[in-house]
Amino acid sequence: MGTILCATRGGEASYRTQDRAIEIARERGDKLLFIFVSDINFLSHTSAPVLVDVEGEMENMGEFLLLAAEERARNAGIEAEHVVRQGDFREQLKEAAKEYQVEMVILGRPGKEGSVTKLQMLEELVKEIEQELGIEAVIV
Amino acid sequence: MVLRKFLGLLPIAMLIVALGGWGFVFGADDAHAQDDDVLPVTGRLLDEQGQPVAAASIRAFVDGESEPCAEAESQENGTYMLALPRPPEQTLRLEVERYHFESLSYEVEAQEIERGNPRRAFLVPDLIMRRKITAGFWIATISFAVMLLLIALDVLHSTVAALLGVSMVLGATVLGHLIGSDDLLVISMERALSYIDFEVIFLVMGMMIVIGIIEDTGVFQWLAFVSYRVSRGRAWLLVIVLMLITGVASALLDNVTTMLLMAPISLQIAIAMGINPLSFLIPEVLASNIAGISTLIGTPTNILIGSYADISFGDFLSNLTAGAVLALLALIAYVEIVYRKEYQAASGGVSKVLYEKLRQNARIKDPITLRKSLVVFGVMMIFFLLGKNLHTPPDATAMIGATALLIWVEPDVEKMLKAVDWTTLVFFMALFMVVGAIQEVGLISHVAMFLSNLIGQNLLAGLLILIWGGAVFSAVIANIPFTAAMLPVVGFLSRTIAGAGSKVLFYGLSVGSAMGGNGSLIGASANVITAGIAERAGYPITYSRFLKIGAPAMIVTIGAATLWLVFRFFVIG
Repeated sequence: MGTILCATRGGEASYRTQDRAIEIARERGDKLLFIFVSDINFLSHTSAPVLVDVEGEMENMGEFLLLAAEERARNAGIEAEHVVRQGDFREQLKEAAKEYQVEMVILGRPGKEGSVTKLQMLEELVKEIEQELGIEAVIV
Repeated sequence: MVLRKFLGLLPIAMLIVALGGWGFVFGADDAHAQDDDVLPVTGRLLDEQGQPVAAASIRAFVDGESEPCAEAESQENGTYMLALPRPPEQTLRLEVERYHFESLSYEVEAQEIERGNPRRAFLVPDLIMRRKITAGFWIATISFAVMLLLIALDVLHSTVAALLGVSMVLGATVLGHLIGSDDLLVISMERALSYIDFEVIFLVMGMMIVIGIIEDTGVFQWLAFVSYRVSRGRAWLLVIVLMLITGVASALLDNVTTMLLMAPISLQIAIAMGINPLSFLIPEVLASNIAGISTLIGTPTNILIGSYADISFGDFLSNLTAGAVLALLALIAYVEIVYRKEYQAASGGVSKVLYEKLRQNARIKDPITLRKSLVVFGVMMIFFLLGKNLHTPPDATAMIGATALLIWVEPDVEKMLKAVDWTTLVFFMALFMVVGAIQEVGLISHVAMFLSNLIGQNLLAGLLILIWGGAVFSAVIANIPFTAAMLPVVGFLSRTIAGAGSKVLFYGLSVGSAMGGNGSLIGASANVITAGIAERAGYPITYSRFLKIGAPAMIVTIGAATLWLVFRFFVIG
């Protein structure tokens, strides 16, 4: 049984990605590994003092969101685990893919509004993963 | 404030000392006086708003001579003192020069000096200097506008933008000195430094350390979780409790810290309840911006206002807290209407695993530190409240409280000192210098005169303009620079409009600048931070989405706060 790495934020907009990842995992007989990459770049948009352990809070939030994703997968009969990382999304995703020796990476298509992730960036990332790591990557 | 009052009295004291001193020297000891013909001449320079003009050059000419017989420079309080080597036989002429002002000449007959001068010291009437628009005026104005624009468009970090503004005005001054052009002079480094309000800097710094220790305990997240349990799936009730918790936290901590603590846990609770987290997050951030104004330490703008206008913690509580509560109640009603469908759709069900994770994320991490922090914070609140009676200014309370916590709690000091956001403190210092520059060149005076002509003696009109005008500006530009720039303007209006001595206009500025932040996504730092957290969880808050909820909320809540201020200052009096 192989492992599919699925990057997800966990919100409603990600349910479509999670559902598709669950379908693919079932078709291939693989297990799912959900990943949440927490970056706190948004803090650079304020001059207000940041006194809170934001990374810790974001990590807790990511854990919670991925537990919810895990439940969705398990309810669909798919074995699932999760990992929360901090830092640059591209780098962290590639590192996790290498570390867990995954066979496939699934990325969600950006939502219609408000998403900071752009489709072009994801397409470039897919190429990078395939060329650098030799792992199949898809945008769903 | 004490310093400001002292400086205010200084001119009189100086005159008394000068006249008394010279009276002693020249009057009490006639023999000594006959040996010395020196005539002291003293007076005060003011601008058209009655503010002292410092660093002006005053030269004295007697009996039509072309060379000055004495020279002096005006002090911070506008006073100057000249020692004439001999009394004039015919006339005394004073020539006054200061960049950004039209040169001034004052002449007086010798007989008049003798007549009003039994003690042989001459007191010149207050001289009013008229401002003029120079190249320096435009440089300072453009620097300030560029700084605001760069912050609003998020092109540069606020601190860097403020430092750029400082560099522009200081650079122009250096160039002016190099090429000998007074027109280019804006503000010297020495003068710019004198505009930094260290009361604000130390209050903000002390509170940063205190907050850094308290936030580590997890108390606010725990309160949110308890609310979730108590509400038993009733989202309409839970959102009220969450807004109240956020409101209380914002009144005591800063809004950004509050939302960084509250947003992640609220988001998880909303997901656990099966509703869109934005129906919790947006009401919470709106509540945060509103409730922050209820205390002196709740928002940076209140800290600025309190320090400038000598408004104490207790003054804010008695004059503004009820307005903030009223606005919060109006917001709750509004939110319950706008989000009623979302709240009705709450399922309330959550799996054991998710519930356990939620409980774990919202646990109190360090109960011992929490207890100690609450004791120190409680004592600090007493000192904030009774500060005036105890002769303890808020910045001293904050610094002593922070030190007490550092000693008692024994946190990792390096970590705590790193928690002090130095970039924010530098931002404040640079901002004070840029605002000082636009004061020096007269931009603030022009705005003050414009508003004064517009308002006349109508205090109510002044209040409404400051609240609603302030709100509109704060919705589109950063409210901290806006407030800092408006303080001298409001100070002038408070001195010139009858009845404004109650400081009602300062409270109006507080309401407008803070609650105006609810009008748009970029109106307040807390909004941007909340949007960032929500986006990371897959629930983006777009500009239009926030505007749709925030703009009407701003109108409703500012309306409620306006009603309160009118009632408090025009009905109760």
